[in-house]
Amino acid sequence: MRRALVVAGGELRLLLRSRLAAIGLGALLALSAVAAWTSSAHVAREHATRAAHQAAVDRLFDDQPARHPHRVVHYGTYAHRPLGPLAAFDPGVDPYTGTTLYLEGHRQNVAAFGAARESSGLLRFGQLTPAFVLQTLAPLLLVFLGYASVARERESGGLRQLYSHGARAVDVLAGKALALGAVALAVALPAGIALVAAAASVPAEVPAALAVAAGHLLYLAAWVLAIAAISAFAGTARTALVALVAAWTVAVVVLPRVAAEYALRAEPLPSRVETDLRLQAELRELGDSHDANDPFFAEFRRRTLERYGVERIEDLPVNFRGLVSAEGETLTSRLFVEYAERLAAIQRAQRARVDAFAWATPALAVRRASMTAAGSDLENHLRFLAQAEAYRYDLIQRLNRLHADGVAYADDVQRSRDAAAERRTRVVASHWQQLPDFRFEPASPRERLAAARPALLALGGWVAALIGVLALAARRLERTA
Amino acid sequence: MTASGMTEAAGVAPPRHRPGALGDWRREAALWLRSTSAVASVALLAALATVAVALGLGEVARQHAAIERVLDLQASEEAAIAGFAEDAGSAAYYTAHATWDSPSPLAFAALGQRDAAPWVLRVRALALEGQLYESDAQNPELALPGRFDLAFVLVYLAPLVLVALLHDLKSAEREAGRLGLLLSMPGATRRLWVARAGVRAIAVLLALAVPFGFGAALAGAGLLETLGGLGVMVGTVAFWTLLAVLIALRGRRSAVNAAILCAAWFALVLVGPAAGHLAVNAAVPIPSGAELARENREAVHGAWDRPRAETMARFVSSHPEWAPYAAIDRPFHWKWYFAFQQLGDEHVAERSRAYRDGIERRERLAGAIGWVLPPIGLQRALHRLARTDVAAQLEYQERIRAFHAELRAFYWPYVFREQPFGPADFARTPRFASVR
Repeated sequence: MRRALVVAGGELRLLLRSRLAAIGLGALLALSAVAAWTSSAHVAREHATRAAHQAAVDRLFDDQPARHPHRVVHYGTYAHRPLGPLAAFDPGVDPYTGTTLYLEGHRQNVAAFGAARESSGLLRFGQLTPAFVLQTLAPLLLVFLGYASVARERESGGLRQLYSHGARAVDVLAGKALALGAVALAVALPAGIALVAAAASVPAEVPAALAVAAGHLLYLAAWVLAIAAISAFAGTARTALVALVAAWTVAVVVLPRVAAEYALRAEPLPSRVETDLRLQAELRELGDSHDANDPFFAEFRRRTLERYGVERIEDLPVNFRGLVSAEGETLTSRLFVEYAERLAAIQRAQRARVDAFAWATPALAVRRASMTAAGSDLENHLRFLAQAEAYRYDLIQRLNRLHADGVAYADDVQRSRDAAAERRTRVVASHWQQLPDFRFEPASPRERLAAARPALLALGGWVAALIGVLALAARRLERTA
Repeated sequence: MTASGMTEAAGVAPPRHRPGALGDWRREAALWLRSTSAVASVALLAALATVAVALGLGEVARQHAAIERVLDLQASEEAAIAGFAEDAGSAAYYTAHATWDSPSPLAFAALGQRDAAPWVLRVRALALEGQLYESDAQNPELALPGRFDLAFVLVYLAPLVLVALLHDLKSAEREAGRLGLLLSMPGATRRLWVARAGVRAIAVLLALAVPFGFGAALAGAGLLETLGGLGVMVGTVAFWTLLAVLIALRGRRSAVNAAILCAAWFALVLVGPAAGHLAVNAAVPIPSGAELARENREAVHGAWDRPRAETMARFVSSHPEWAPYAAIDRPFHWKWYFAFQQLGDEHVAERSRAYRDGIERRERLAGAIGWVLPPIGLQRALHRLARTDVAAQLEYQERIRAFHAELRAFYWPYVFREQPFGPADFARTPRFASVR
């Protein structure tokens, strides 16, 4: 171990003396700092903006004048998806999802307004965030700094010199890996500070932040081990460089795309419009609340009259139109939830296909661990959609109840023709303040941690396997030197 | 770039000095073909480009099929509405008309924004601003890494293969101890480097252009756009070849050359665009979309609480042609309903234009960055040819706006003149012509 430390010290001194290495390291540290700074500023701004939007729509809802409850059903409200505290480190899918969801009666909308549609095409090359720096850029810098670490010694005969001082191949490789590991830690420092800063504001997030940190450290460790091993296996420094750049390209650039293409084809997802049209067709089969002669609603009418023991709708103690709206909403919402769950199930299946590739590239494993623990993954968005739908249904049904209880049927049927009746169908404004506001409840850090565990395990597997590869490399090095 | 030891080609006897440039090229080609690792790396690139083209063609076919399915479903939806719509107002209220943006012939090569922005959208003749920005329910985690299309192979992978093939152009000869001999032949060395780099660059270009040409032919692309696409490929290969030759002839060791070229790639393709994105979005703030939608809703729904006459007066002042028909005599009339829908859009028209202009300015600024980062500029050119860039997404929105105007122009006469509206009229509703 002591010998390994000596080797590591020598390697670090050499790295620090090299101008190219210093420039590369300095550039990446600067990039990392810029990424940490801009990302946290961006997320803080976005967070405040979305909170302000939510407050604005809540206020608008409460401040409505006296209105017919069904007007309010159509007026609806908006749900704005907040950003989690760790989004500053890894915003995940946030730019690729809408952030604003319009909630109204009879309809289930999709979230609109995401960064991907409001930015230039440059967004598709990647966002400069701490996660991008650590997952994509840092490994390549480590490759540049470390590809020659062992191969150089072999080419220059330095290896024999080290052996003559009593060092063994294991010591040499461990030392080189330690030196590169120290560099990796330095590279990760600005991102780490960003993570600590993000978690510091919300102490409950600390375990999740630790998982994010652990994922990235394991990921960088895997690269450090791979670099040392390939540098040892390769005959020359240049061969090592070519092999490592190829490995980086395949692992970080190619395989994530291959995995996504595979998932898209293995689990095809229908377009939203197609789903919508199928849903409408199924709805027409079930019943049409706008059609008074529809068999489903004729049956509902018969049951309602029977329940209240009256002959005519006009004799009901409640407004039949409100009841029909509520029944119609129950019908449509059941389908909305069913279709949304089907779409969510397909997307989760796609995700599972991609996650299987975590064993082919650690880049996918670290992305999963990071996004999931940070709460900026697909699951968080699906959770938002599901909660918003549940809220929408509850809000609309409360309004329908108000319609049934607070608006006289006689006025209701006359309101389109008679201005005085129309005025009487308006419910006093104080009702709007009594309705609950939407608040998104993200998954708890504990839940996210559990969800991130398989990916963390995969990263652990990568590190363990690469330690084995490094040991093999040491044995070979021992023989060839 | 699995190939190592790209020097095998040069590992044969020093080139016999044959006069004439053509002789140089023929000899270099023959030498290069003997290097298994170099040929293998180009073959791998060709295979990846072929896979990318096949995936792109498959994706385009899938999108065409999805549009067809939507149009089929749409027909039965409209038939159902025709059955219960009693007047033009209810037909216009209930019918969501289909619009679509068919993939262009070259879309297979650069799928671009089509996984982030919808290419099918249904709109009603109601206030448009609340409908125009809907997104599609695609899996955002799959959009995150980007697509495996030819544009990806061109901008990310082809340069790395060129770096592998060209970084040791000169150093390989020195490291093999032949450089002195080569330099002793006056006048020939320059021709030699040109021929050697040219052969390798052409090999890489063919690996990209041949699959692209087949794809373009299968997709039925026009000659001009196909040539444009080929031009992008020639430009990209030429840029990286020049850069690599420039570095390779500086006389450093092979490994140093390779590291410098990889670092250049890293800066131009990874760091540059990411920093550029930050700079562009910071330089061009855009109005909030959420606020735009909210303002539109307030203006539309507020009409129910305003005097009807006031709404009609405002409508007539911007649409005087309907003044003779603007009188309403009861609380609810479709005239009034469509009038306030229109006023809702007019209320936010300026904000909506600013929102759109902001995105457009960001895209234009990104184009300027393309001049600083040539590979990015070239890739953007390919997306423009394929009509899959942000500008194409905005063009689609403009076409939806034009269609929406057609819908209004169709329904309004029935509504305002209170003309009867039967299935025959419904059959004449405007269709979204997917013209480019």
